[in-house]
Amino acid sequence: MSQVEKRAGLLRRTSSSKKPLKEKVVLMYDEIFAKEDPAKNNPRFWDELFLMKVNLEYLESKLESVDGEEVQRIQDNINSLFHHCVQALGEEHQIKVVNALQTLCALFRGVHQKNKSASGFDIINMLMGFDKAEQRMKDLMERLDSLLCGDGSESLKSLCLKLLLCLVTVTDNISQNTILEYVMINSIFEAILQILSDVSSRGQHGYDAVVLLALLVNYRKYESVNPYIVKLSIVDDEPTLDGMGMVVHQALTEYNRQYKDKEEENQGGFFSTLTSMVGSMFIADADEKLSVQTNEAILLALYEAVHLNRNFITVLAQSHPEIDIATTPTPPTRPHPQHHLAPLMNNPELPLDPNLQTSNLLITFLKYASIVMQDTKDEHRLNSARLCLIILTCIAEDQYADAFLHDDNMNFRVNLHRMPMRHRKKAVDKNIPSRPLVCAVLDLMVEFIVTHMMKDFPMDLYLRCVQIIHKLLCYQKKCRIRLHYTWRELWSALINLLKFLLSNETTLLAKHNIFHLALLVVNLFNMFITYGDTFLPTSNSYDELYYEIVRMHQVFDNLYCMVLRVSTNTGQWKEAASKVTHALVNVRAIINHFNPKIESYAAVNHISQLSEEQVLEVVRSNYDTLTLKLQDGLDQFERYSEQPKEAAFFKELVRSISLNVRKNVSLNTLSQDVLLKEFSTIS
Amino acid sequence: MVVQSQSIWRKPTDTGSSSPSLSVCSSPSLSLPSTPSSSSCPAPGPAPSGTPPLGVISEGPGELSLVIDAEVAQRACQEVLQKVHISLMYQNRVDVGGSQNGAGPEPALSVTIVKPAQIQIREVEDDPGSVKSARRRQRHNPSKQSWLLRLFESKLFDVSMAISYLHNSKEPGVQAYIGNRLFSFPHDDVDFYLPQLLNMYIHMDEDVGDAIKPYVVHRCRQSISFSLQCAWLLGAYSSDMHISTQRHSRGTKLRKLILSDELKPAGARARRDPLALTPFCPAVSGSGEHGLSPSKRTHQRSKSDATVSISLSSNLKRTASNPKVESSQDEPVRLAPQREFIKSLMGIGKRLATLPTKEQKTQRLISELSLLNHKLPARVWLPTAAFDHHVVRVPHTQAVVLNSKDKAPYLIYVEVLECENFETSSVPIRIPENRIRSTRSVENLPDCGMTAEQRAGSFSTVPNYDNDDEAWSVDDIGELQVELPELHTNSCDNISQFSVDSITSLESKEPVFIAAGDIRRRLSEQLAQTPTTFKRDPEDPSAVALKEPWEEKVRRIREGSPYGHLPNWRLLSVIVKCGDDLRQELLAFQVLQQLQSIWEQERVPLWIKPYKILVLSADSGMIEPVVNAVSLHQVKKHSQLSLLDYFLQEHGSPTTEAFLSAQRNFVQSCAGYSLICYLLQVKDRHNGNILLDAEGHIIHIDFGFILSSSPKNLGFETSAFKLTTEFVDVMGGPDGDMFNYYKMLMLQGLIAARKHMDRVLQIVEIMQQGSQLPCFHGSSTMRGLKERFHMSLTEEQLQLLVDQLVDGSMRSLTTKLYDGFQYLTNGIM
Repeated sequence: MSQVEKRAGLLRRTSSSKKPLKEKVVLMYDEIFAKEDPAKNNPRFWDELFLMKVNLEYLESKLESVDGEEVQRIQDNINSLFHHCVQALGEEHQIKVVNALQTLCALFRGVHQKNKSASGFDIINMLMGFDKAEQRMKDLMERLDSLLCGDGSESLKSLCLKLLLCLVTVTDNISQNTILEYVMINSIFEAILQILSDVSSRGQHGYDAVVLLALLVNYRKYESVNPYIVKLSIVDDEPTLDGMGMVVHQALTEYNRQYKDKEEENQGGFFSTLTSMVGSMFIADADEKLSVQTNEAILLALYEAVHLNRNFITVLAQSHPEIDIATTPTPPTRPHPQHHLAPLMNNPELPLDPNLQTSNLLITFLKYASIVMQDTKDEHRLNSARLCLIILTCIAEDQYADAFLHDDNMNFRVNLHRMPMRHRKKAVDKNIPSRPLVCAVLDLMVEFIVTHMMKDFPMDLYLRCVQIIHKLLCYQKKCRIRLHYTWRELWSALINLLKFLLSNETTLLAKHNIFHLALLVVNLFNMFITYGDTFLPTSNSYDELYYEIVRMHQVFDNLYCMVLRVSTNTGQWKEAASKVTHALVNVRAIINHFNPKIESYAAVNHISQLSEEQVLEVVRSNYDTLTLKLQDGLDQFERYSEQPKEAAFFKELVRSISLNVRKNVSLNTLSQDVLLKEFSTIS
Repeated sequence: MVVQSQSIWRKPTDTGSSSPSLSVCSSPSLSLPSTPSSSSCPAPGPAPSGTPPLGVISEGPGELSLVIDAEVAQRACQEVLQKVHISLMYQNRVDVGGSQNGAGPEPALSVTIVKPAQIQIREVEDDPGSVKSARRRQRHNPSKQSWLLRLFESKLFDVSMAISYLHNSKEPGVQAYIGNRLFSFPHDDVDFYLPQLLNMYIHMDEDVGDAIKPYVVHRCRQSISFSLQCAWLLGAYSSDMHISTQRHSRGTKLRKLILSDELKPAGARARRDPLALTPFCPAVSGSGEHGLSPSKRTHQRSKSDATVSISLSSNLKRTASNPKVESSQDEPVRLAPQREFIKSLMGIGKRLATLPTKEQKTQRLISELSLLNHKLPARVWLPTAAFDHHVVRVPHTQAVVLNSKDKAPYLIYVEVLECENFETSSVPIRIPENRIRSTRSVENLPDCGMTAEQRAGSFSTVPNYDNDDEAWSVDDIGELQVELPELHTNSCDNISQFSVDSITSLESKEPVFIAAGDIRRRLSEQLAQTPTTFKRDPEDPSAVALKEPWEEKVRRIREGSPYGHLPNWRLLSVIVKCGDDLRQELLAFQVLQQLQSIWEQERVPLWIKPYKILVLSADSGMIEPVVNAVSLHQVKKHSQLSLLDYFLQEHGSPTTEAFLSAQRNFVQSCAGYSLICYLLQVKDRHNGNILLDAEGHIIHIDFGFILSSSPKNLGFETSAFKLTTEFVDVMGGPDGDMFNYYKMLMLQGLIAARKHMDRVLQIVEIMQQGSQLPCFHGSSTMRGLKERFHMSLTEEQLQLLVDQLVDGSMRSLTTKLYDGFQYLTNGIM
């Protein structure tokens, strides 16, 4: 729908300004759509055509207006046009190259628009002709490859990438875009890598290159061998991987900055609120949508890199002091946050926020995630949040990533965004201590847990969240890392989650298997109870764990009653619930052991309300008479695998990204007047 | 015998004809060192050694032996030289008496004369300087110098003498000769005096410069590190000149020449082995050109060329992964990688200085270094290291910012791979940080090398490769092998293993029970086991890093390094100083090293630790850190103990072997540094500048205030050296044996130092030339230094002096005041 509207709008604009004249190029297009071979009367027809400024709208609408039978008639001419476009790409005359690229864009789009339901083969036939398709596409890809890798104009390279993006997103479902089969055979992967490895070209085209790569990787991902997947997974050239990380980093930073600006705006006085309201009437809507779509594509690229390429994990921790970034040329279209930081280097105020000076992809990503996860009602944001958690899952499973997450020498202050809530004050950002990065991850998880207990319960996100915590704990247990983290916050968040599940049992059970989540949560406690000696930071923290369990014993009691009730009934949750009853054995043992002790202590000492210290004292002196049961497989977890569980999600995600990219590309490709001017002056 | 010897010593007074055997052989070797005959001198006259006419000069027949007391001889030589030097001051007159005096009253003199056959003088023939000097030499009366020549040719004539002669002689011929003679000394010996040589080159007259230049140029051709060393020192020591003269000065020109890299490798030659130095022999090349012509290059040479070019490009970008770029990179990169490396390190220091807090500095440092890592390995090295190596990685998370008020010195650890020769050995290939994972991507993915034909048209479904279980199975957490430290706890019985590995076997249905008390107990036990470290303090990040035992740190870093498995892996560390002038430090290092070798030679068990200094410019440089040592300030701050109690804590009770040896080390090092502090007038001796190593030695660092300079304060630190009651307590109190031992060591050390005073003075004196350094402020620097050796005192008087110094320092109120002052102003305890 939006496509049609846009085109209509654009048509109107051009037609109003150019109505009286019929451009020469339009006449030439008409000739192509006539029956005759246009070169018959004018042997220099094709030469002349590519010297003419392209009228994309006309060409596209013409292609669309062609109906079934006509197609047969003009197919030869269209094939010829395609052929000459590809040939023109090899021309020295840059104007011709530009025009050919744009014409190709129009061709791909127009033909697809027309034949939405047609099979890929028909489209290929119409564009290139079956017999020649392979050769044509080979030529096209080779030309594009050499244009992208050559020393030519940057605008030309940018246009090449736009053409490729246009081609890749021309169908809603990327896997149905049969032409891409030729892009698989004639890989432009190396050209993309080259763009990413070079500092200046990365600055100008990095974003498009990364998005293109992310999309190509998702072509028939689950059905066939996609060479882009294979190649991406074996890249080990650090400058290239860094380049990719840098592009993602900059895009996410930009989003974070925009968000922060907006947030500050909203918190400003009445006047600023007013102006922002007025301003938002014009731009905010478009702007916001733009940023969301941007980030989904980038996030997908980040996911593919993290998931497919193990070497990329090191890039996550790669620090980027802003000095280095400031020296890289920045693309004219996207203002870069670093750009505006660099001149402020000498500003005495600025260095007070250390995050401005040293950041890395992981920190930026965590901040981004903290923003996106705040509000998951919007579908785009929900998708982003889910993808963020999937990426974190991959990171938490990776040994190297875990190593630097827990590195005691790499301390950072990470200012996560926290949702403003009625019952808590906004955290004072300045006081966040510098800690290993894993603390920020745990903070983020805790934050999510406490802020999303709502009626429209995001069960899927909660499961991922709890599993990420579990994976981190497994690593800590295995490596005996005693993280100085305020575990208490996590415990109370988890207990509150259990409480929420209990009080909304009926509504939740209609949609979700709450027992699975409850089991995971209880098993987190079991990790602490049975293996606490291997990863807790102090002996006091073990006492505190017991204190917290005993203090909140009612939640566990109620949970036990509930799961017992469900497991004794016959129903679909019987088995799931009985698992939880078994998992609760140690928690219940603790409660049953200490509660009488505490009560008798209070009775003996005639105290009605025991202080925390007194309870801890009771706990400390009564360990020895408590026996716990060792449970199986507490430190085992199911590894993340994209297929088959996540396949549907990614299919949908790629589809929505394709739509967004297509929308953006069409806008950008059409505004190439500047580019034409550039070349007309050169030649 | 006696007569014979007399005739020799009388030689200079003759007209040169009375002793033909001498002049025949000696004059060609002196005046024609560059002709072919010199290298193949047939030695027609005296045999190399021991031949009656020239061999040994001695008084009695009983001493007719080749084994002479080197010490005595050397001293004698020096005295002779001293006097000869005086005589040469008046070179226009034939000062017969002076020379006679020089020879006459020296009864104990024994000199072994060696023949020039062993003195290989190599020279670049077309060097205008040497031609000129050769001509000049012939102008002078050769007879006048021939006896001197004998000394020069003698075995005892060492670098120290050569340098002092070069400095003191005003005779161009002599200077030119010594310039040539430098070629025959071992490289390492000359390298020690490199600052002196270059300072003379910069600041003394043309003749000295002309004499030194060929040697420097020759060495630069041979070695990249020598080239850079020279360039850095030339820059640093030229900086005190007025800016207008500096630009056109000789030193600046030579520096430019070196840095322009026109001094390319000279030819196939075993570079590092002084023994393998073959004399230059023009007969081989046959042409008039010097033997550095390409025609002489051997296959070895071409090999080294190739490897030299595999190196960093000028922007320090690693090109190893891209062979095409490499091969196109040619010669100009000879010096570039190392210069870029150093420049990067300095750039980091400059940027760190702009950040306000230690925490920010540390964070920034780590991130900057991680970027630096991307450009490694490369043909770069740490000049402070004692062996050849290539830097492969900087474990960036280990770097720490050191405590300094306004500058940002920092300490980095550097992983290197030892190699034969850093110039010719090939640069190690890069191993990615995550080497373990590199196996996965390649092996677990199905072959993707499908041909286009196979793929074309075949849109059929191909088996899915994306089997995550397989793809990710290489290194997941589940399979992670963790080496757990041996647990020595008793309560860790058979149950304890359950906390390590969970039971996954499904057969055992029997439930396993554990006691909660055990878990709790294990937790506290394991926490107690972690070794005592200083607590992490964001304001003093270096304390933790420095407290960790070096061996431990090496092991830890090695484990985490992708290069750690290589047998030639080594860990080095270096302090990078940016904004500090290290020239005084270098001077102090040289004096310390000279004194160390004097004490070693004299078998006085004084202990000092000269740490290497690299001067990069007048305001930057690098320092070799003292490993396993923390400052007294850090000791006191973190342990909150007195020094003696800290010793007891670290080494055990006073009667144990460990404590006693630590105490002995403490005393020996105290004595050494007390003398150093006295002789060099080292000031600013607060506890932050005194380190304590793991064996109990103290080590003084920071020689920013020596000789004539002292910190501008209220006349504090008037005592000779720092000797607090805490120090004396560690020694066992002022009445203990160890304290007496301390004083005795000082006396012995002073006597030994006095004996070789000239070797110390010479280092300082030459560096004074043209220097604006604060340590040379005023006119009495040298006189004061000389006086502190107390040449005139008897040993009894010296002992008295030492007692006075020690008493004075102990009673000194100012030391205590100074510590208080430092505590108030800099927070140093």
